[in-house]
Amino acid sequence: MMDLFRLVGTGGVIAYRALFNWATPAMFVGTLLVGPLFQLLFFAYLGRQLQVADDRFYIVGNAVLAASLACVFGGTMAVSNERRFGTLGHVLLSPRSRTAVFLGRVLPYAGNGLLIAVSTLTAASLLLGLRIPLSALPGLLLILAVAALSCGFFGLALGAVGLRLRDVWLVSNVAVALLLLLTGVNVPATDLPTGMRVAGQLLPITHAAEAARRLAAGDSLAVAAIPLAAEAAVALAYALLAATLLKLFEAESRRHASLDTL
Amino acid sequence: MRTLRLIAVGALLHAKHQSRSSLEITIALILPVVQATLAVHLFRAGAEPDRLLEAAVGAGLMGIWSSVLFGSGGAIQNQRWLGMLEMIMLAPRPPALVILPITLATALTGTYAMVATLLWGRLLHGIPLTFADPLAFAVAVPGCIIGLGMFGLLLASTFVLMRNANALTNTLEYPIWLVSGMLVPITVLPGWTGPIAAVLPTTWGARAVREAATGSGPVWPSLGVCLAISLGCLVLGALMMTHVERRARAAATLALA
Repeated sequence: MMDLFRLVGTGGVIAYRALFNWATPAMFVGTLLVGPLFQLLFFAYLGRQLQVADDRFYIVGNAVLAASLACVFGGTMAVSNERRFGTLGHVLLSPRSRTAVFLGRVLPYAGNGLLIAVSTLTAASLLLGLRIPLSALPGLLLILAVAALSCGFFGLALGAVGLRLRDVWLVSNVAVALLLLLTGVNVPATDLPTGMRVAGQLLPITHAAEAARRLAAGDSLAVAAIPLAAEAAVALAYALLAATLLKLFEAESRRHASLDTL
Repeated sequence: MRTLRLIAVGALLHAKHQSRSSLEITIALILPVVQATLAVHLFRAGAEPDRLLEAAVGAGLMGIWSSVLFGSGGAIQNQRWLGMLEMIMLAPRPPALVILPITLATALTGTYAMVATLLWGRLLHGIPLTFADPLAFAVAVPGCIIGLGMFGLLLASTFVLMRNANALTNTLEYPIWLVSGMLVPITVLPGWTGPIAAVLPTTWGARAVREAATGSGPVWPSLGVCLAISLGCLVLGALMMTHVERRARAAATLALA
């Protein structure tokens, strides 16, 4: 059991350091801390001008969404960069559980996403003057952590798809843009067409943003528990999907000797 | 005439090259459509359905800026990765004239974004494409593209000096959308952003295109200011590019990432 934790924990951290291309300080700050903050400000000012919703709606929603950039791209990199750097074969030769290896890789990215979401929420609240009840902070932290994990598993599932595609970044870029549109972070879900609303329910972030907004509005964690549980279920579903796809595509790649074919 | 031919043929060549990249096409085509859909639903939710054309045009402009930013920001780096940087720098023309077609091509590729968002708006959301001044719109869009292409040269020459230019590229997308008033009117932003907006060609280009689409003001002064600032950026960019090229040749660092 201890070995499994070591494989998941230590393996995940080592892989993060090796594969996450944004890990230089300038890239990290510019892309992951400043970028999401400006995205939040853009939608907050747009929302103010159009009077669609108040600042809390945009600040909390976009702070939750901020985790997605690092987690979705990170989860994708966890698989596809192994292939790009020519080390995927070595990983798959390992006699340990590949499911544990790859699921463990999501953890550092989720931690990273949590850090980004917290910093975005803090900076935006200070800049735009949003007050969040102190009692809501532990619950908010829990929601952001679940959202980050959910996005990480979503990214891992995309990374698994990348084993069959030539350009996985295309899929990741479109996925991140769709999260912006479908999760109700910037357009209230009630104003979206039914099809888009249903699609949003199946994506990470949607339920977490709703739970976080309830907490920030002063509701108790019990009130936010239902959307939080829904987000956890989405996370679990994407973890299962990622594990299944990785197993399936690994077997396919071995059979067709197409593992390193780009 | 030879210079114009060099720029035109170079821009066409690089535009064709960029049009073969699925990632470039995605960024230029799909992402602006997503932005346009988001903008249309936001404007509808805000009970401003009469401004849907403005939303579609704004999303198109955002797409052009993204294309220029990522394309120009990576112009030198991409040539370096392709192993072409030494070849194009060996050409017996000033380096700015060799790089300018690349940045113009990124802006040209960005026109996909404008066409895509307008068609998407018309076909899916039924937005009537009734421009207040169609002739001015037809001039303002290419004028804005040429302006942004010239601004791109300054970006390319600045980014070549920075090891982590990608970090700045990733950071600059939303701030320029915001400050230039591509979708959010500048009037709702804090006062200190005004001077920044005033010196950006993106602000004046977006304003000219919006004025031509909606008839909210005179198009030509805005377009003139956009092109004047862009020309200044072109001169600055050319000077910087010459300086960078000489320094890279002297230090033998041209091909080093």
